Amino acid sequence: MGADRRDDTTGPLLSVENLEKHYPVRSGLLRRTTGYVKAVDGISFEIREGETVGLVGESGCGKSTAATTILGLEEPTGGTVRFDGQDVTDHDADERRAFRRRAGVVFQAPTTAFDPRMTVLESVAEPLEIHGITDPDRRRRLVADLIERVGLPESMLYRYPDDLSGGEKQRLALARALILNPDLLVADEPVSALDVSVQAEILSLLETMRDELDLSMLLITHDLSVVRQVCDRVAVMYLGEIVEIAPVEALFADPQHPYTETLLASIPEPDPRGERTSVELTGDVPDPADSPSGCRFHPRCPKAIPPDAYEFDDGMFRAVLDLRLDAEAGAVTADGFADASELRDAYDLPAALADPDAEAELVAAIAALLDGRTAVAAERLSEAFPTVCEREHPTLDETAAGHPAACLRHEK
Amino acid sequence: MPSTSLEDAGFTDIDWANESGGRSVLDAPTLGLLAGVLAVAALLVYDLRVGTPFGLLNWDPTRMDWLALAAAVLFGRYGCYPLVRDRDRTLSALRSLLARPAGALSFAFVVGSLLLALVGPELVSFGYPRLEHRLQPPVFARVHVADVYAYSCVGELSGGYCHGTWRYPLGTDRYGESVTELLFNGNRVAVKLGLTTAAIMGVVATAVGTTAGYVGGLVDDALMSYVDVQQTIPALVVYIVLATLFLGEIGGVGDGGLFALALVFGLLDWGGIARLVRSDVLTRRSAGYVRAARAAGASDLHVIRRHVVPNSTATVVTALTRRVPLLVLVQVALAYLELNRAGSLSLGRTLRLALSSRVNHLPWHETWWLSVFALAFLVVFVLAYSLFGDELRDVLDPNEGMV
Repeated sequence: MGADRRDDTTGPLLSVENLEKHYPVRSGLLRRTTGYVKAVDGISFEIREGETVGLVGESGCGKSTAATTILGLEEPTGGTVRFDGQDVTDHDADERRAFRRRAGVVFQAPTTAFDPRMTVLESVAEPLEIHGITDPDRRRRLVADLIERVGLPESMLYRYPDDLSGGEKQRLALARALILNPDLLVADEPVSALDVSVQAEILSLLETMRDELDLSMLLITHDLSVVRQVCDRVAVMYLGEIVEIAPVEALFADPQHPYTETLLASIPEPDPRGERTSVELTGDVPDPADSPSGCRFHPRCPKAIPPDAYEFDDGMFRAVLDLRLDAEAGAVTADGFADASELRDAYDLPAALADPDAEAELVAAIAALLDGRTAVAAERLSEAFPTVCEREHPTLDETAAGHPAACLRHEK
Repeated sequence: MPSTSLEDAGFTDIDWANESGGRSVLDAPTLGLLAGVLAVAALLVYDLRVGTPFGLLNWDPTRMDWLALAAAVLFGRYGCYPLVRDRDRTLSALRSLLARPAGALSFAFVVGSLLLALVGPELVSFGYPRLEHRLQPPVFARVHVADVYAYSCVGELSGGYCHGTWRYPLGTDRYGESVTELLFNGNRVAVKLGLTTAAIMGVVATAVGTTAGYVGGLVDDALMSYVDVQQTIPALVVYIVLATLFLGEIGGVGDGGLFALALVFGLLDWGGIARLVRSDVLTRRSAGYVRAARAAGASDLHVIRRHVVPNSTATVVTALTRRVPLLVLVQVALAYLELNRAGSLSLGRTLRLALSSRVNHLPWHETWWLSVFALAFLVVFVLAYSLFGDELRDVLDPNEGMV
């Protein structure tokens, strides 16, 4: 082992605190900064030695930005990343080189993962060359050995990436990430671009290599079934924030955040008699440059908290809130609806709400809407049906289930 | 699955504390390039101080020749060396090029014209032009010469008609110069000018395009604005102004404006290519292999040298092969207009002499061989180089074929 191999085994290998990456949005002739895309907005977690942590979320939630920022490929705009107890932004040139050696990375894009003009040998050996292994025979030996260990024949060394399949490329990408014998492997969507049959192979190869090499791993994916197979702990990200973090079994058994629940519900169920109820997300992922107030998930949350004034049946407040948000955004008008019942159908609203006061407000608002007075309807709906979720920003706090989640329902 | 025993867990087993961490910037190809440039520089110094270093070859290089030598060194490094190093790819690209009729034909012509430019005029020794052998018709053709004053026919003279011979297969001009030789020399001028200008353009366009695309931001804006400005001033106009002002002054120099033409076009006509390179670099900057190299600790210099520039070569080479024929046409036109005096060598001068009736005793259509062969050669030359560029693009850039 190298002399710089970590010697203390107490602290976490990687610790991320309040990491922020905000991209300025510039517009106009002078390119003034008019706003920020909060790609990563204050996330904290740690990876202990030998541990595999998953970072899960939809595309656009900032998980890949988190990876590149943690690796120091982009400067964070706030927060700290400590690797082996040392702040990576404080590294001098030598420490930075050592960090680059000790943190390997596999990126998603399999089509451009390899330089089309370089042979497999040249590509996989490139990190060795960068780190000063100048003897080409020695590089060839190291690469040949590693290539066999990722399950590819040595004859592949002189092939070009155009001739390789996606699975072969991903094995080689893994070899390239491991050639410097790192302590931490960051894998950004390592299998999402592959066929399902190949996915399983690559995942088990990842596991094998991790166990053999005693790697710590940060696995970034949108696919919770991948997490279940490989990870020890998992952090769920939504719009730049971690909303729940838990050991894998705990998260699957007892999810505490509505977003996690919907993600779990979207995993194809192998057992058709399984009891999981399906939860559907309404609405699209909001623009990260204009993130919602309060809880960022409230425009889509199936369990948004209703106002205390009324009683709602299950899911009914969500339907009312959908109508309200659409009306406020001007996304719903009288056009296309012949009468109130057609509009109610479109929003999955029942013929009448359980609470008569709420029903009265709703009927009045729908009438205004169908009259073409959209602004009046929107105002009426927002006054009658406010939710605490749009006002208060939840923090990542411990829940009754024993792991933290950021949802206002746990703070009540 | 391969071995899973834990003994060989440290499979790359490198003791980093003992590694030099040395980053060798000077690899063999770079050293070769430096050696070539230094050799040309040394020869030039010798030429200036002592006299021509090529006395044995009976060659006293002009300024244009020096520029062409430097260009040849560049082509050796960035053209021939990669072709030889990646023999397998070169051969497979060559095979797919030869599999296309247009590709095979244009490739054959381009290779032929390059070889002829290198050794043609010397290989086929014509000796000095003989004035008494003027206006000989090509072989298998005849010309009515009864009215021509003091005409001597090399071949058979019958009924006032002189018949062509194999001594001058394409005939001779009014000074007794063999048309074959004129074509060989015209080809040499065209190739020399094309390659030299292409080398200058290629270097400048790659440097500017790569810098703009890779650095981005203000640098990008500044460079691209400069390209905009430059593109509003055609290199041709600059050359004509320079030629009008100074061409008389440099009459004693053998290249007769070719050097200036190469420099003016090389330094002012690269804007479009730089834009192509820039957009290439922009897409490549975020490619997976660049990100992987950076994550492994690669410097900007490493990324540019190993990934960015090599991947732009196909774009640059293709653009240049399509620029060369245009440039040759410009040179021929300039020589025709006497704005460029490439000795007695340019096809433009050949055409001008063939078509002017001032000194000629015969109308131009009776001495048709003077213009037709030169014109035909010019057309084939331009067509072949342009086609070669197109075919090369199709072969080198398989993505385009799939779209």
